[in-house]
Amino acid sequence: MVGPNVTLTPLSRADGSASYQCPSTGSNILGSVNAPVELPGRRDALKPEEATVEVFVKPGTAPAGVGERYVEGIIKTMISRLILGREKGYPRRGVVITLAIVGGQPARRGDSYLTLLPALLNTSLLALLSASVPMSMTFSATSLAVTSTGDILREPTAEVANSAASVHVLAFSSKGHLLLNESQGAFDLDTWDNVRERALAICRGTASFGSDGDVTMTVDVDGQPLEGAIREAVEDQVHRDYAWSIDAV
Amino acid sequence: MAPAAAAASPAAQPTPPSLSLPPSQFARLQPHAYLLAHLSPPAASNHPSIRANGRAPSQFRVTSANTGSLTHTNGSAVVRVGETAAVCGVRAELLHTEDIASWSVTQPSAGSANKRRKLVDPTLKASETVGDSSEDTYDEDESHIEDLNLLVPNLSLSTGCAPGFIPGAPPSALAQSLSQQILSLLHSTRLVRADDLRIWYQPPNLGPEDLERHNESEQMDVDADEGEKNREIKAFWVLYIDVMIISLAGNPFDAAWASVLAALRDTKLPRAWWDIDNETVVCSDAVSDARKLTLRGMPVASSFCVFEADAAAGWRAVILPDAEEERKIAEDNRKGAQRRWILADPDGYEEGLSQERACIVVDKKGGNGKTVIVKMEKNGGWAIDSRELRQLVDISSQRWDHVRQILEQC
Repeated sequence: MVGPNVTLTPLSRADGSASYQCPSTGSNILGSVNAPVELPGRRDALKPEEATVEVFVKPGTAPAGVGERYVEGIIKTMISRLILGREKGYPRRGVVITLAIVGGQPARRGDSYLTLLPALLNTSLLALLSASVPMSMTFSATSLAVTSTGDILREPTAEVANSAASVHVLAFSSKGHLLLNESQGAFDLDTWDNVRERALAICRGTASFGSDGDVTMTVDVDGQPLEGAIREAVEDQVHRDYAWSIDAV
Repeated sequence: MAPAAAAASPAAQPTPPSLSLPPSQFARLQPHAYLLAHLSPPAASNHPSIRANGRAPSQFRVTSANTGSLTHTNGSAVVRVGETAAVCGVRAELLHTEDIASWSVTQPSAGSANKRRKLVDPTLKASETVGDSSEDTYDEDESHIEDLNLLVPNLSLSTGCAPGFIPGAPPSALAQSLSQQILSLLHSTRLVRADDLRIWYQPPNLGPEDLERHNESEQMDVDADEGEKNREIKAFWVLYIDVMIISLAGNPFDAAWASVLAALRDTKLPRAWWDIDNETVVCSDAVSDARKLTLRGMPVASSFCVFEADAAAGWRAVILPDAEEERKIAEDNRKGAQRRWILADPDGYEEGLSQERACIVVDKKGGNGKTVIVKMEKNGGWAIDSRELRQLVDISSQRWDHVRQILEQC
């Protein structure tokens, strides 16, 4: 499986930015992060000891609607738990994440947004890293569809997800915690356990598994784990950015 | 500086008569410590671990439901979960197919539509239809609801339901995402059958060879297939599902979804037919002609939150253990700052003290009562993993039995 196509800091005016293209769904997300910024006095900025995280999702072709509000809420809940909002300079300020859906299929009204969610999450992580926002850990997210015959498909397109029995989005932290699970459609817990195992293999590789024949086969299918791909993209960028200093030595 | 100090000293001077605060004051001043003290009482005191609202960790609030309260709607329900109350009204409006711009282009020939329709035989049980023929009927049966937006849920929090929500304000982000959750759950569970919302028209068969087939359209069999070919959809019912949260004390989604479910179970659509002479859809006045919706299953939502003993666990990066290490710590051996509780059906006070949420929607299908998960969400932390989710699904399926009793009695 081909890894995602990642560019770090494509925008020069934002504090941090990233563009992320998922090869299998074709979704292309451009994300920018501004942090820390002064927010105007807000009623809902309730915690004076912490940073306020704001997420905006802009669909490519239409104004944002209730679906975007919902997905913004999911991203915000997950990310605000990882950002160290009490570091110096962050309390009473804001971390503003803007995610624009540049390419891929637009979501329709009432769509679950689950097929786009992993790309949105991975983009916001990369943009946060690009803006050097302090975080307690990184993460990687993926989506899986379970067909009616019980096959598990990685990163389904909207059509595949529509005909699937259930769709799952899972995010794992760099320390192996399950950070997010969004499952929709009829399934049972045994199916979900298989989905979780597969998602863990996609996100973090199979270092934690034994030498099971089946598992090693899925590794070949899934290729490089997502977390490694994200890490590599950031390492490459850092290497390029500091080329002057490395060359000078 | 001097006036400020002078103002402060008289305020500090009169010491309070006693050093003890009433519990309600303590709950406001130190909410986290207050709930923690309830959940982890000192071992000597012999008190059970109980939430500040008097419930056990996996206990839901008292739930009650009442249907048919609003007379001007096709179906309505009031659901109370503790102090949270949701009113839901379902109003049906007609959507003529001639008003749908893309209708004539997108519709396949009537013949194929009828063949599909036979698979959703109304005499089958809900479970069998879902289980057996869901693959075959999906496209024809359900795409109408999604493509034509036949279900329009909306949730309003701007009713003065809680101090944070100003009446008359534009819908907050919470209200919008709750509306979206209800809509996407209605779509993904396929609760409402598209067939209930269709209004068909069967042109009279004028050909001489069709004389023996003038029986009503319900008695479809293979022979009638040719006669059915001319049947066409003339209109749809659009269901406007409006939820008003009139009192919000935490956990709005469970209450809202239960009210939607109860209202849809209560919904009656009048008998409607296409009047060829007036070229319009005519509805029957008679209540006896109206029929109820036949819903697929009865998904019930249960929400949970995680209360952590260490309020600062989220941002102190140094102490975060690896997931594997953490899994080794059995839940009973956790002590001090590591302790955490999964609280079912959180009220507003507990919601303010927790970041991690989980929501599980389960249904039980068929005679064996097998639990099927329809939606499972967890977000905002790392306390809930497979082991915890397994417990929560068990709790949710017990909750399903309970809610079914309540909904069937009302």
